[in-house]
Amino acid sequence: MRRFSGRFRSALIIGVQGIRARKLRTLLSMVSLFLGVLAVVVVQTGASVAQRALLSDIELTSGIDGTAVLDFNSTPESAAVVLDTLKKRPQATGTVALSAIIGEPGVQAINPGGSPFDQNWGPTQVCTPDGTCTVSNEPPGQAIELQLTALTSDVRQFRPFRPQSGNWLDFSTVPALAPRLVLNREAAKGFTEHRVPAEMRLRGATTNMTPQLIGVVDDGDSAPHAYVRMDELAAWLPPAGLADPAVGGYVQILMPANDPVQQVLVSKLQAINASPMITTINSKKDQESQLKMLRLIFLAMAGLVLLIGVAGILNVGLATVGERVEEFALRRAVGTPRALLAGIVLAETLLTGLLTAAAAIGVSALGLKAASMLLGSQTPFLQNVQFPWDAGVAGIIAGLAAGVLGGFIPALRAAGIPIATVMRA
Amino acid sequence: MSALIELDGITKILKGQQEPRTILSGVDLQVHEGHSMAIVGRSGSGKSTLLSILGLFDRPDEGRYLLAGQDITRLPERKAAKLRSSHFGFVFQRFFLLKHLTAAQNVSMALVNGQGWLPRRDRRARVLEALDRVGIAHLAKNRPARMSGGEQQRVAIARALVRNPRILLADEPTGALDTETGTAVIEALLGATTRGCALVLVTHDRDHAARMDRTLDLVDGVLTARVPS
Repeated sequence: MRRFSGRFRSALIIGVQGIRARKLRTLLSMVSLFLGVLAVVVVQTGASVAQRALLSDIELTSGIDGTAVLDFNSTPESAAVVLDTLKKRPQATGTVALSAIIGEPGVQAINPGGSPFDQNWGPTQVCTPDGTCTVSNEPPGQAIELQLTALTSDVRQFRPFRPQSGNWLDFSTVPALAPRLVLNREAAKGFTEHRVPAEMRLRGATTNMTPQLIGVVDDGDSAPHAYVRMDELAAWLPPAGLADPAVGGYVQILMPANDPVQQVLVSKLQAINASPMITTINSKKDQESQLKMLRLIFLAMAGLVLLIGVAGILNVGLATVGERVEEFALRRAVGTPRALLAGIVLAETLLTGLLTAAAAIGVSALGLKAASMLLGSQTPFLQNVQFPWDAGVAGIIAGLAAGVLGGFIPALRAAGIPIATVMRA
Repeated sequence: MSALIELDGITKILKGQQEPRTILSGVDLQVHEGHSMAIVGRSGSGKSTLLSILGLFDRPDEGRYLLAGQDITRLPERKAAKLRSSHFGFVFQRFFLLKHLTAAQNVSMALVNGQGWLPRRDRRARVLEALDRVGIAHLAKNRPARMSGGEQQRVAIARALVRNPRILLADEPTGALDTETGTAVIEALLGATTRGCALVLVTHDRDHAARMDRTLDLVDGVLTARVPS
């Protein structure tokens, strides 16, 4: 071990001396290698940032990895079981999705069917429980149709909505008579562009309500959407009626995987023949498999650019060994083993590779920061984006690999220089 | 007194594209500690080849090489490198100094060779001591380009002495120097013998050869003792 340490230190000292003696040549090697390492770092950075962006959008709509989602046939009985079970269990969140219209009564909404405001999904159809649907013939007016999701507890523990303005729903306070709504960005856009009366109507409700708009979040949904406390809505809409398919309710429960509440719910639902189905969110794995092929293709292209850089290092390395024949012969004469001579050349190319990797990582990190500052306001996934550590590791590995590949043949040449021939010349 | 180096019937044949040519033919030689020896001869007589074999740069085709009683004729390269580091010092006609290193760094090269490790402070002390032995400690930070030929050769001698070798091999060390500087260099080399180091000097200069304890003449690969004139 001591001998290895001595040789390693010797190789490092002589390698650094060699680099300092040939600064321009080292710089040219670095230039030839820079694009290759940069390509690897950029591909890895791009893939990581894209994956994170896609993942964060998926987390908004589907839930974070490890979230158990319980679906079942929504009936007034099953809804009542769920709401009763979750009453004092905030670690699980029951959600009921409803269709709501806010604005003038008796008119067709500006966005019929709850479509995004720059799209038109056609006129609203009204369907009866027997399956007969008719097109609404109400006159157009100042009203906005949106999806309203009622929550039993804070859903952000599973779907990390990004706050945009105002406040989120506070589940620790006494329920308000006027339901407090948090809008998503599309709904907020509609309420900013159109002035509509503060009157909300829900199918199945005892009467129309006057909602309070308290905040805006980014929930990843492109259609208008609002969130409300279940208990505030329950004053106007009977809880059992929330899940009535005739009213449009759809119940879903989000909870941590393997939480005890899961077993309780499943047992209760099975008792009323509701046959629950549980899925666990695993978006990261799904995303990775989708991005894997794309990343491989780009990495292969980056590898080709890297090979050109390796050829550059190899070329410069061979020329340098040719010039340093006397030095290497002299080193052998004073007792330097062949292995150490090879080590010296490899140390130089490895250091060159590492310096290049450092430069490429620095440029990529600065580029990402600049992109975040310049484009962050228009491109949400670039906001506060951090340079991914795996891209840095990939850059260092690429630099080291290029150093080894480019220095291998020159190292063998250096180790094979005969002392006698050179010293006699 | 037993010999430090003993060559017994050393033969070296050059095998090139033409007919094989015998460079050394049955050379017998003994080198003793603290003694100096000059090997003289015409160009192509095999002086440098003999020095290459003595310094373990090359192997003989026939014969036996004993170092301190140990047969090292067929020593593997790894062990030969270790012996070169621990037992031998080399001085060449061309000084072979690395121009991008200072005098001290050039001398230090013999210590940073993968054969053991000395802390920086110890290295520096030994380098300065070696430079002081050849009288140029004040030039430690100078690069070769700023030194005269004689000074450069003294740096090369300091590099050869820094590991306190038992044998100093010098191949035409004064060949590129004027008479006065050459004499000073020979003085520096002879100074090493006072510490028990053996000196083998290959030279064309009769005057320098005459200052050695013994002079041998190499004629067509055969070594003969020269009678002092």
